[in-house]
Amino acid sequence: MAVALAWRRASPRIATLRAARPDDPERGGPITERAARELVEVVGQRKLFQRLVPGMMHAAIFWGFVVLLPTIAEAAIAVVDRGAHLPLIGDTTWFAWLVDLVAVAVLAGVIIAISIRKVQRPDRFRGSHLEEADRILLMITAIVVSLLLWQATRIALELTDAEGPVSGWIAGFLDGASIGTLEAAERVLVWAHLLLVLAFLVYLPGSKHLHIVTAAPNVWLRKSGPGGRLEPLRIDLEAPEEDLRLGAAVATDLTRKQTLDLFSCTECGRCQDVCPAWATGKPLSPKLLVMDLRDHVAGTARPAGEVELQPLVPNAVTDEVVWDCVTCGACVRECPVDIEHVDTIVDLRRNLVMAESRFPSEAGALLRGVEGPGENPWGQPASARMDWADGLDVRVLAPGDAAPDVLFWVGCAGAFDERAREATRSTVRLLQAAGIDVAVLGQRESCTGDPARRMGHEFLFQTLAERNVSTLNDAGVTTIVASCAHCFNTLANEYPDYGGTYEVVHHSEFLARLVREGGLHPSRDSVAVTYHDACYLGRHNGNYDSPRDVLRATTGQIEEMPRSRERSFCCGAGGARFWMEEGGDARINDTRYAEAASTGADVVATACPFCLVMLDDASGAAAEGPEVADVATLLARSTLPDG
Amino acid sequence: MWIWADVSPEGVASSALELLTKARAIGNDVGAVALGSGASGAVDQLGEHGAARVYTSDDQRLAEPTSRVAAHTLAALVAEHSPGVVLFPSSYRGRDVAGRLQAITASTLMANAVDLPSIDRARAEILGGTTIVEVDLAGPAPHLVLMRPRSFEPEAVGGTADVVPVDVVEPPGGAAVVQVLERTEAASDGPTLEGAKVVLAGGRGLGGPDGFRLLQELGDAIGDTAIGASRAAVDAGWVPYAMQIGQTGSTVKPEVYLAAGISGALQHAVGMKGSRRIVAITKDPEAPILQLADLGVVGDLFQVLPALTEEVRRRTGR
Amino acid sequence: MNIAVLVKWVPEPQGTPTLGPDHLLVREGADGALDPGDEYGLERALQLVERDGGEVTVVSMGPEVAVAAVQRGLAMGADRGVLVTDDTVRGADALVTARVLAAAIRPIGVDLVVAAVESTDGYTGTLPVTVAELLALPSVTFATSLDIVDGSHVRAERQTAAGAEVVSSPLPALVTVTTGVAEPRYPSLKGVMAAKTKPLDRPSLAGLGLAADDVRPSQTVASVEAAPLKAGGRVIEAGPETAAEIADLLAEARVI
Repeated sequence: MAVALAWRRASPRIATLRAARPDDPERGGPITERAARELVEVVGQRKLFQRLVPGMMHAAIFWGFVVLLPTIAEAAIAVVDRGAHLPLIGDTTWFAWLVDLVAVAVLAGVIIAISIRKVQRPDRFRGSHLEEADRILLMITAIVVSLLLWQATRIALELTDAEGPVSGWIAGFLDGASIGTLEAAERVLVWAHLLLVLAFLVYLPGSKHLHIVTAAPNVWLRKSGPGGRLEPLRIDLEAPEEDLRLGAAVATDLTRKQTLDLFSCTECGRCQDVCPAWATGKPLSPKLLVMDLRDHVAGTARPAGEVELQPLVPNAVTDEVVWDCVTCGACVRECPVDIEHVDTIVDLRRNLVMAESRFPSEAGALLRGVEGPGENPWGQPASARMDWADGLDVRVLAPGDAAPDVLFWVGCAGAFDERAREATRSTVRLLQAAGIDVAVLGQRESCTGDPARRMGHEFLFQTLAERNVSTLNDAGVTTIVASCAHCFNTLANEYPDYGGTYEVVHHSEFLARLVREGGLHPSRDSVAVTYHDACYLGRHNGNYDSPRDVLRATTGQIEEMPRSRERSFCCGAGGARFWMEEGGDARINDTRYAEAASTGADVVATACPFCLVMLDDASGAAAEGPEVADVATLLARSTLPDG
Repeated sequence: MWIWADVSPEGVASSALELLTKARAIGNDVGAVALGSGASGAVDQLGEHGAARVYTSDDQRLAEPTSRVAAHTLAALVAEHSPGVVLFPSSYRGRDVAGRLQAITASTLMANAVDLPSIDRARAEILGGTTIVEVDLAGPAPHLVLMRPRSFEPEAVGGTADVVPVDVVEPPGGAAVVQVLERTEAASDGPTLEGAKVVLAGGRGLGGPDGFRLLQELGDAIGDTAIGASRAAVDAGWVPYAMQIGQTGSTVKPEVYLAAGISGALQHAVGMKGSRRIVAITKDPEAPILQLADLGVVGDLFQVLPALTEEVRRRTGR
Repeated sequence: MNIAVLVKWVPEPQGTPTLGPDHLLVREGADGALDPGDEYGLERALQLVERDGGEVTVVSMGPEVAVAAVQRGLAMGADRGVLVTDDTVRGADALVTARVLAAAIRPIGVDLVVAAVESTDGYTGTLPVTVAELLALPSVTFATSLDIVDGSHVRAERQTAAGAEVVSSPLPALVTVTTGVAEPRYPSLKGVMAAKTKPLDRPSLAGLGLAADDVRPSQTVASVEAAPLKAGGRVIEAGPETAAEIADLLAEARVI
């Protein structure tokens, strides 16, 4: 009956999952990779251990319950025949010891959990359902305590010889009780234990604790490969309109994984804790976004056609929330159950941009610029694309020219922004000094489409991707060096979906290699430098060391910021936010620049033109503070005779 | 050889006097057409600047905002007197009258002219002033030529004009089709863009409407100053269109023109490059405006402007 | 409410246009787009029709590539397009263009014609009123706001030499608008797709009732030369002396 009840409670969510769009079956990667992920993330609790104490708490309860599962079966048998035991492990002393120890561990976990929630009260729980968590912790306690008491009565009644330390100790107190009382107590406790377990089962499907069921499949279905790659929509304008998907408008537009994400959230708030938007007083919290979508989606789970589906934006989440995201991926990296917030946010944006044309109006300039004749977000003419190279002898690849060893992808920021141009020039001069055969596409280069894509204009991205891939393929390019982390990510991870597969190397990596292999000979000084990890180089692509290697070649003193490497805090430019106005209490770039300044460094090094411009803007706004410069600029200063 | 004079109860626009300078240089018998309230009051000044005759009417019907009545009245005059050329100022009214007149007379119309080497040839700056073209004019008389402001210097040569009263010709459908419901005079708490000795102009580099406060403060310190803007700043909605300087907007030729945060796109350059002295402050060492500047400053305008205001205050004691 | 919006395809609206050997703006082969200045009036027209009902027609004259400009207008939401393309009107002057546009508008039976104050590449600024005169319409130029009242009048705020005025004109009328009149929308992909199936009329000159005499240009370019560059300026990096240097220049000019 309990199972039926639980099923009934679960059925709206199951129906919602069934109505959701299927995912790309390949997205999770090969089975071995998925299995490894389950081992590390579910069994190994890797992401939970990113925070030590809460991680230990959760691991105690999780592993505890895995071990305690057979005791549920034992209780179920004992309800029918109180003397019966499970084969192999039932009535063995070692298992009794294990159960007792684990039960204590679980209770310790519960105590830690309660002390975190009631005493420490971290901000990440703001907006979470706290009473629900209390209820679940109470149930866990009751289940474990009833188990121990039941075991104690069985020992006292000599129904088992296997005596654990705790249950045996409790049994000691029962010595004086009459057999009748003990027998009655044993019956009451076994039933109580089993009913508690069943009640838990019934409670589960409608609660955030459903993650004990959904987490493992959610991890299984998670996108494989670099986090920076978005899955293509492949828009065919010639296709019939009903086949055309322009992002997520209503609940049923979400994919199964996106829906399962919503049912997997435990409201732990780790994502909220690391979100740059939330940290600077904006309405977006990845946790609240997931909760709001979940509540909306669960509310619309009715038989098809019965209710008209309401748009997700603004009914579930507001426009502002959708546009606040910098796509830095900190939330995704943090989430213990592998919820992919960024992909869902981009899917919501896709619908707003492509179907509704609804977005912060100032970002229109970005789209107009990219689709305009100059094909860049600044709306500059194509003829200005090589202005950065004035005074340099840079080979521009004409159609039909022999492919260079290295194609340097300048990027629009590197070509048009005055501050980024300096880094571009440094990079090219360093490559030339090292004798690398390098060329650029010149006016044939256009925006990679990254900002358009992250803003949700998948079609514009697709158009640019196809064009650039065709240019690169025609030119016979094999190796690309890119100094923009966004261009790098798009070229390396997203262009293969459009037939463009190249060896794409970030300039920091290429320069680090040149230094290591003796192609460049920098002189070291003792300027204190701190390095700001670019999201699309670091977190999204796992390269934390190359820029630091470059810096180590130029200075003896690198100061790390409190949030660095995979925990780096975004500069505020990603997700096309660079072209949008910023609300909230503080600006993300100012916040990050203050953090950089707090290290006492003289220079904040960056490895992406957008980080450079954002932090340089912040340095202009700040009264004083360190200089902001690209790693290539710093390397050029200590390598080339004229800096 | 005729010129169109923009007149108002406040007097005749200086553009009319500029056009007279040119008209006199080409032919002796210069007619000026002054239609609307204030027209008869303009006669003396027009004569003094070289008009031999002034075709004039103060009729209220000419004040209607579409310039239809004025255009049809002028068309009748043109048909009667057959001038070879009519010069117009590139003003709101000048464009409206010339455009409509062209439809009636089927004449050629040359806009944005800076000179008229002969009655059949006009010179214009195109592509934002980077290129000068000379265009041969043909077709039925009169040639209609719209001159950019400040193409010529007004010169008082002494003389009196004969007054030729004009009968108003109503277009089909009558005169007063478009009603003026309200009128607001431009705030006149300072010199106009065209009249100021110093013009301080801001562009996108000012970062927003607040940036213009820096210019205002500097202007207050200097005195006799007007504030202008590039099209980028106007398009961004930071300041009203009335402040725009450039191909669209005003043309200014002050003693000193200071551009802050303006890249100097062609569109802007046309409206200010005739300035006596040009100072440009920009972050971008590649900005085209630096090519036009007598003094170009590459740096942070948010530091340079307040420092300059301080320095000017120190020198002027304001 | 039928509104015609005059639009123009301009080459490289953000870049530097070039003149060809025939002294005409290079239009063929250049990257071009709908004149950004035209989007403001189109946006306002779309808003009015969305509110009051009716149709918006974008009307243009230009080379074959100008289809892109009309398509852009349709993608923004215009209901139909008219584009007149004819080799004989290449390099047409303002009068010829006005005649062609007036002839293209006449059969639509419009209540309102909207145009930008001037185009981004030509800047003649007289074309719309010439069209108005040819169509015998009243005109309101330099409108910074535009509204339709009671379906019978247009109410507009306009800039004048003296300041600003609010005017009311009976329909039909022609209004030229500045950039302040509305914030143009960015066409959605749905709009772009819908544009492909919207009617696009491509009348010939003869079909519009225009004879060769009507489209004979009255201007020929006699010479083209580069304008002289200014010389003698100097460029400095901002520093502690900058304020004094600028102040010196102001003093030299006797303005302080």
